[in-house]
Amino acid sequence: MIMEEKGKSRLRWGGVLAAITLWLIAAGIGAQGEKPADKSQERPDVLMIDTLKAFGDLEKPRVVFLHDLHTDALEKKGKDCSACHLREDKSGKIPGAENLEDAVKGIDKLSPKFKRLKDTARQDVMDVYHKFCIECHTDMSSAGDKAGPVTCGGCHQKNPVKSSRQEMGLDKSLHFRHIKANDKKCEKCHHEYNEKEKKLVYVKEKEADCRFCHKKETEEKRISMRLASHIACVDCHRQILAKKNPDEKAGPVKCAGCHDLIKQKAIEKVAEVPRLERKQPDTVLVKTSVTEVDSKTYKMPPVAYDHKAHEGYNDTCRVCHHASMDACSKCHTLSGSKDGQFVNLEKSMHLASSNKACIGCHLKKQETQKCAGCHSFITKTKMKETSCKACHVKVPGEPEITPKTDTAPLAKAVLDARQAIITTYPDEDIPEKVVIKDLVKQYEAAEFPHRKVIQTLVKNISENKLAGYFHTDQGMICQGCHHNSPISKKPPKCANCHGKPFDEKSLYAPGMTGAYHQQCMGCHEAMGLKKPAGCTGCHKER
Amino acid sequence: MSISRRRFLAWMGGAGAGTAALATGANAGSKHFDGYPGSFGVLHDITHCVGCRSCEEACNKVNELPPPDKPFKDLTVLEQNRRTTPKAHTVVNKYLKPGSEKPVFRKIQCNHCLEPACASACFVRAFQKNKEGAVVYDASVCVGCRYCMVACPFEIPTYEYDKVLAPRVMKCTMCAPRLAEGKLPGCVEACPKEALTFGKRDDLIKIARERIRKFPDRYINHIYGEKEMGGTSWLYLSGVAFKDIGMREDLGVVSAPELTSGALGSVPIIVGLWPVLLTGIYAISQRKDKAALEEKTQAIVEAVAKAKKDAEKKLADALAKAAKDKDAAVKKALADAAKAKKEGA
Repeated sequence: MIMEEKGKSRLRWGGVLAAITLWLIAAGIGAQGEKPADKSQERPDVLMIDTLKAFGDLEKPRVVFLHDLHTDALEKKGKDCSACHLREDKSGKIPGAENLEDAVKGIDKLSPKFKRLKDTARQDVMDVYHKFCIECHTDMSSAGDKAGPVTCGGCHQKNPVKSSRQEMGLDKSLHFRHIKANDKKCEKCHHEYNEKEKKLVYVKEKEADCRFCHKKETEEKRISMRLASHIACVDCHRQILAKKNPDEKAGPVKCAGCHDLIKQKAIEKVAEVPRLERKQPDTVLVKTSVTEVDSKTYKMPPVAYDHKAHEGYNDTCRVCHHASMDACSKCHTLSGSKDGQFVNLEKSMHLASSNKACIGCHLKKQETQKCAGCHSFITKTKMKETSCKACHVKVPGEPEITPKTDTAPLAKAVLDARQAIITTYPDEDIPEKVVIKDLVKQYEAAEFPHRKVIQTLVKNISENKLAGYFHTDQGMICQGCHHNSPISKKPPKCANCHGKPFDEKSLYAPGMTGAYHQQCMGCHEAMGLKKPAGCTGCHKER
Repeated sequence: MSISRRRFLAWMGGAGAGTAALATGANAGSKHFDGYPGSFGVLHDITHCVGCRSCEEACNKVNELPPPDKPFKDLTVLEQNRRTTPKAHTVVNKYLKPGSEKPVFRKIQCNHCLEPACASACFVRAFQKNKEGAVVYDASVCVGCRYCMVACPFEIPTYEYDKVLAPRVMKCTMCAPRLAEGKLPGCVEACPKEALTFGKRDDLIKIARERIRKFPDRYINHIYGEKEMGGTSWLYLSGVAFKDIGMREDLGVVSAPELTSGALGSVPIIVGLWPVLLTGIYAISQRKDKAALEEKTQAIVEAVAKAKKDAEKKLADALAKAAKDKDAAVKKALADAAKAKKEGA
């Protein structure tokens, strides 16, 4: 009897051990986690169909739909967009009519929805998708072609392929090409909603960015930017292409044509884009006071802004005009207003972290290689007070400025009087070579070609207007290395401030060795210099 | 003999009170140690390191270590990620993130934790954390068990396997003897770019925070070593994610001794109290059985004695009866003989 009991107990323990082992294996497999995403599989035409969200929670995962894949497949079968997109009104006119206008009018607008004009009810929409998708796939696969899935999980995928879609927008060059193609007829695309007449009208010289009204999601009486841009852009392109006129070019109609990164970069760019004609100002005086009675009472002089020049420096208008084409101070008032999200005028101009603000954009320009040698060391978190006067310049003659004064000519006067400082002290005052021998131990003294370096830096500034205007003193360029000291023709030597390293009393300044190496090597690295390289590049071995 | 209920309860109460009193000793190990005040550390600014290996050369010279296989000027060794070795207390590694052209260099050495796992694992106190902040090694008491190598979360201590007599555990000592003389650690002194900053640990944290504040685009907003494994004396600032340069981000903020203090603190109680308690209970339960056994034996002995007595009595009676019968038979035979004679004469 004792033998039987032992056998039973052994079996029990064996079972427990097996269970624990299996559990560990399962946990181990589970813990492996998801595989990292394969970037090469990403595509720009991925659409996630979640139309039923409007009717309640989704029961199954969203359906992944590859639009270009389908367009290409249907093209091979000789079908076009109307295979899936219904005509909005059935006028039945045949393309190829007498003139351009008639021809364009004759081809009907297509609905962006799939096989329907409206989303009516949950079951109806679901049925539309299921019926037509599965039907077409079944037909194609029975004909022997490669077709999409027909099972539930085939479309309602848990881990669909990721989208690499890039946002698309017009820049100056592309916009100009559209102006030319449409014969300067701005009304073809630009409109605004007239509250009184309750319809879309075109208002001359008030053309604006589509995104100012068309937001991310469709609102009650306003379609989303996505819908608006596809209806306006893709439809127009499609209509032109449908005419099959070899002399008429049109933009893309496939997803990848606009949204693929490589195709975007390949878009033809016009070299010299003529200035947009919208009666915009050439110069603007940004006022810093509300009363503006007497310019003598300004605490801070106003800023003269060269609007025309800045149009040339940027690719789009929306870089600065992010919500409307009005002047910044309309919404960003001196003390801030609700329209401007309570961002006051000072912040909207000075915010270092925003590309829309003057200073933010200028700081971004300092990151180019030619400037980064000095500017990568200058902290961007606090602006120097000396740089205020580069922009805030007193109006010559200090005239009276009232709310009615036309300030554009005053701004022009300031801008004309402004001069870019593109030189520094004369050569005799700049030491030609600086021999750094304070730390000679392992290596010989380093011979620093001081004057040559300064001359290169001055050349970089002279080619850059922004640098020229902001380097308001000819000694300012010395501050790149001779920092934390007042501007002077005889600035302090490095050893005057950098001595013993790891000094408790001056925690934040490196010692002499560290100072030289960090400043010199840091500048070389920021400016992308390949030489001098290695230790012996600067000082020979002993 | 069995124990009375009252006595039993008295014993249990005493055992419980004793356990509670001793248990406070275990909790002392879970207090958090922030480092000796004024202890030193080193801040390694990874954005400044250029991989020149001057620190490796200086460490080798200062500690009088044997010369390396490849000279320190040879930068091709950086192509492979290395670990500390018995001949090298510190190494510099190169890391290249795919898609980025600029390599990132990092110096690896003992991090001189505020509460070191190696010191905690060593049962002969060969590793000790001194007041200057260095974790120092005493080779004379080391037994070569290498528990420290198992315990270190950064996998730093190495062992001189090649030595037959007197092998040592080798690791960076933060140049404790040089610190005692007021000199800088060898690597810190040698670094030309001052990628290593020496100072009081509190000051180093201030310096690191200031650098992050001034150049937020240059640094990741985290000082590695400020809290990792309870805090280390060697702090790191980096411009790329720490896990991309071979530094573990999964260590947590609890020091190794704190993690093990609970289990280790309960050993004295368990060793001291449980055997006594369990033996006592065993003894008590055994005594009951013993008492029962004693009574049983006693009863048997008495029963046997009684049986023996009865048997003897029976025998004596039987013998007496036999003797009586014999007498009676002899008497009868004699009487018969006399009678026969009388009749025959």
